[in-house]
Amino acid sequence: MLKLLKKEFTLCMHPTGYIMLLGALLVLIPGYPYPVSCFYMGLAIYFICLTARENHDASYTLTLPVSREDAVRARIRMACCLEAALLVLIGLMILLKQAIGNTPNPAGLDAGVALIGDCCITFAIFNMVFFPGYYRDINKPGKAFFLASVAVFAWVALVVVATYTIPFFRDVLDQPDPAFMSDKLLFTLGGLVLFVAGTALAENRSARRFAQVDLSL
Amino acid sequence: MTNEMNSPLSVRGLCKNYPEFQLKDLSFTLEAGKITGFIGRNGAGKTTTINSVLSLIHPDAGEVRFGGLLREEHTREIMEKIGFVSAGMTYYTRKKLKIITGITKTFFPGWDDAVYRKYLESFGLSEDKTPAELSNGMKIKYALTLALSHGADLFILDEPTSGLDPISREELVEVFLRLRDLGKTVFFSTHITSDLEKCADRILFLQKGQLKADDSLSAFQAAYRILECSGSVPQEVEKAAKGICRIRDGYTVLLSKEDADPRQTREATLEEIMVHLEKEGETC
Repeated sequence: MLKLLKKEFTLCMHPTGYIMLLGALLVLIPGYPYPVSCFYMGLAIYFICLTARENHDASYTLTLPVSREDAVRARIRMACCLEAALLVLIGLMILLKQAIGNTPNPAGLDAGVALIGDCCITFAIFNMVFFPGYYRDINKPGKAFFLASVAVFAWVALVVVATYTIPFFRDVLDQPDPAFMSDKLLFTLGGLVLFVAGTALAENRSARRFAQVDLSL
Repeated sequence: MTNEMNSPLSVRGLCKNYPEFQLKDLSFTLEAGKITGFIGRNGAGKTTTINSVLSLIHPDAGEVRFGGLLREEHTREIMEKIGFVSAGMTYYTRKKLKIITGITKTFFPGWDDAVYRKYLESFGLSEDKTPAELSNGMKIKYALTLALSHGADLFILDEPTSGLDPISREELVEVFLRLRDLGKTVFFSTHITSDLEKCADRILFLQKGQLKADDSLSAFQAAYRILECSGSVPQEVEKAAKGICRIRDGYTVLLSKEDADPRQTREATLEEIMVHLEKEGETC
């Protein structure tokens, strides 16, 4: 798996994969739906899949002594590495923002611990929708990306609305840190579990689908 | 005679159905250390066969064994010993060869850097170039270099000489003969039959998804004769014909050796046999 991961980063990586890590800086904007930075990373992952198609990556990979399943897992885990890096950077930006003076965010959760959980859920949704769709036909990643984008923006919009209408979001998660820290940590932990479990589910479904696909060189 | 269990590649009852095309019950066994030519017109099913053999597509029926091992159960061991080269080798066109090599070699325990350097030099390849900067012939040579360096025993080549000029094709044919001298097995699909006449030991002839011939090159060629007719083709000749083609001054007729008068006919080239057999049943 490590060899395949190295192959993914060396041969398949698109520059936007690194550039979109700068999306973490969006957390410094006073009023912004911060999980949109996760969408930008999803866009980079879509570009990686497009680049892989243009470079006939599947043709190359499947003539190596590796299974289709491992090829799928490597691509998804590379995406997870980028997503995890963005989560870490968002965490650092939250700390920075809190150090320089946090202001309430009218467009979703404030820059606090709960935002990490929100972003984890955003990535879980993206991974669960995008990858199984993409591995149904790797030559048509656009449809999978469209559906994943719709799902991600639906979640982002839902959270924005929830911060005004649902008491748990409005009165607990969207309050400045360190208030309700145990609830926020629990929410974030739940988001992290969903991210890991959802991505594992996406890996399994994608691997099963890709195993059935006919490719041509 | 090579049996299925120790053949580098053995295919039994391979079928693949598409709405517009069917690969029908294809069976063959490659002989180790020989060059086998896989011929047929465009669309005959050569690439479908190769894709099925490599499990890139899923056959509807059939069994593929490499050295007796089932493809789907021993992917890793099998792919370590296969070198696949396609004319359409267009991966990572903007990456330098040294980067592609650096990644590729990590997957093969049998990788030999000395062999890699030797072939790189022998083929005149520069590692600082990208595939986009290589000619088609050089791309194929690079793919062959990778395959040779990881110790492949079986080379599966899908139309490797298509689109190449005669000199590049000649160079590649020499490479294939060198591979055979090293004891490697070469399975070589093409519709450029003149290349096979220079190097193939055996011929598999595929027509409309069905294997029409599996024989040594010499026996396959000896089974047919060509009769050249100026003007029209006599009726009794037309009845015995395996295929008739129009030429500038009349017709050429492919006849089986038994139906041909050696004094009036000549040896048939591989291309003539293939072209005429494609026209079998058509009247002039």
